[in-house]
Amino acid sequence: MFDALIDGLLLVLQWKAFSLMMVGMGLGFIVGLLPGIGGAATLALMLPFIFKMSPAEGFAFLLGMHSVAATTGDITSILFGVPGEAISAATVVDGYPMAKKGEAGRALGAALMSSLVGALIGALVLALAIPVVRPLVLSFGSPELFMLAMVGIACITSLSGLGVRGQIRGFAMGLFGLLISTIGQERQSGTLRFDMGLMYLWDGLDLVPVLVGIFAIPEIIDLAVRGTAIAGDRQPEDLQAGVIEGIKDTFRHFWLVVRCSAVGVFIGILPGAGGGVAQWVAYAHAVQSAKDTKDRARFGKGDVRGVLGPGAANNSKEGGELIPTVAFGVPGGGAMAILLGGFLIMGLTPGPDMLTKHLPITFSMVWTLVIANIITVLLCLAVLNHLAKVTYVRGGLIIPFVLFLVFVGSYTANGQIADLIVTFIFGLLGYLMVLFGWPRPPFVLGFVLGKVVETYLFISMNRYGFSWLTHPVVVVLIFLMVLVIAYPFVQERRSRNRELADAL
Amino acid sequence: MRFKPRSLFSLMLMVVAAYAVFAARHWSFKAALFPFATGIPLFLLAGTLFVLEFFGGDEDTGGPAVELELSTDVDPAVARRRIAGILTWIAGFIVLVFLVGFPVAVPLFIFFYLSLQSRVGWRLSFTLTGIAWLCFYGLFQWLLHLPFEEGFIQSMLGI
Repeated sequence: MFDALIDGLLLVLQWKAFSLMMVGMGLGFIVGLLPGIGGAATLALMLPFIFKMSPAEGFAFLLGMHSVAATTGDITSILFGVPGEAISAATVVDGYPMAKKGEAGRALGAALMSSLVGALIGALVLALAIPVVRPLVLSFGSPELFMLAMVGIACITSLSGLGVRGQIRGFAMGLFGLLISTIGQERQSGTLRFDMGLMYLWDGLDLVPVLVGIFAIPEIIDLAVRGTAIAGDRQPEDLQAGVIEGIKDTFRHFWLVVRCSAVGVFIGILPGAGGGVAQWVAYAHAVQSAKDTKDRARFGKGDVRGVLGPGAANNSKEGGELIPTVAFGVPGGGAMAILLGGFLIMGLTPGPDMLTKHLPITFSMVWTLVIANIITVLLCLAVLNHLAKVTYVRGGLIIPFVLFLVFVGSYTANGQIADLIVTFIFGLLGYLMVLFGWPRPPFVLGFVLGKVVETYLFISMNRYGFSWLTHPVVVVLIFLMVLVIAYPFVQERRSRNRELADAL
Repeated sequence: MRFKPRSLFSLMLMVVAAYAVFAARHWSFKAALFPFATGIPLFLLAGTLFVLEFFGGDEDTGGPAVELELSTDVDPAVARRRIAGILTWIAGFIVLVFLVGFPVAVPLFIFFYLSLQSRVGWRLSFTLTGIAWLCFYGLFQWLLHLPFEEGFIQSMLGI
């Protein structure tokens, strides 16, 4: 095993594989910064180029590109409130308010360093977990995966404000997201649902225009209303010090970063959940880790922990997603499904062979994740100072460029003008949500999870009737969901009691 | 008993959920299961909230959602004018893309936004527009080969 580990490293460090990894990283850097063009789409675009590459070279190229896109997607989320990747949306919630407070450097430093720690943890787990992960993956059938998604949505409702009304709003938004995801042709029966006679809606709403609209447009409207730079009229921060502070924050809250990385790995392992879910659940965990209601109230207003959690989970899930992909040929997410195509192009069959005959290739993937992330973070740290200065440029100069990126990014989803209209409509909806105090994260998670949740629910009902509700893992997950819902109330009650005791 | 603007959102959710359940009633079990499973609880939750907001006090004590905070330090009349302005620009951009396609709409939009809305000098507007166009052409067309539909006007004129 140790020999295979070293062989894997040597495979990546061969000049050709290393050069191709650097080329892939360059592409991933650009793609990560552009809203709408996801890492998965770029993997698909680049797949034809690997025909003449060896497996080590091909994986260095593809994984180098994919892992960098996940990291740099956080940059636009923080600087402009526009998610560079669908999986970077949770970073907006606290990253962008930090930029508005003049702490863009700190937020970027924290995002990058937590991404690196997350990636390293993900790679480590990938290296260690392959022999032992089989029982875990096989113990999760459709009922368990359905309940796990419900736990994810319950976690997100904790971001919806405490108290009964806050929780109701959170759940209602989660359900609304799930309902909106049903638009389009039902995959098993072919029934057209809520298509309003428009052929565009037959395939359902694409994630990118919805996500970009709901997050970016309200931020752009607010920037236009303020009429200032993103960082307001504040004096420019000491960027170097800010970046270093962000790096230090990662180690100040190291256990939070580790826990959120673990969340990312776990969700990555489970097929179908994907990076967007991992980031939101990690964010919810960061919020729930707050000591009391006062501490909790700092989230959403620019708390660095809200950047650290999603940043770590975003990259650790890469290692997690690779585990079922490599070991069983079951892709952990959309990008991994495309990577499976890469396996076949290079003449490899995912499964037991990858853990025996081709073990050095498997370890070369682990090393690619490690090396690509280290190089990316070092390069980004070198240019962060210049990137963060953008938040001090007046809004009037930034807005047209951000709008151009937002709409071009949305258009790339289907290449139709209707994508732009969907972006605009969901932008307005997002603005109304913010205006009336309805949380956007549960809606987004519901929308992201909708299609898989529907499939899991249907299979569970069809196969087990209602008896799936008594499966042991399902019961545990129901209990966990109740705990997650009850926790904010317990926290609120404790906080009130403490305040009462202090007053006396 | 007081009607608040935010209750409109609860009402909208109730209408959407009711429509979803109503529309799904004739579909097959497979197609209707999920709209029912989400629409009915959504209607009940939104209805509960509507009642709580309509008959209850202002807000419970729990605290705000973890969300973007909109600026409150701008005069409401000015804010309303600026919101209308930016929404018009966004809608205008979409119409422009429809009429002339992205390759022409992007430089036109950026130039006019910078010079008319942001009141940037002509020279700087030209320079920034040029940079944006180079980014658009270099990245999206030359490097990534993304296909952009021609505009309505070009297809009408056959150019």
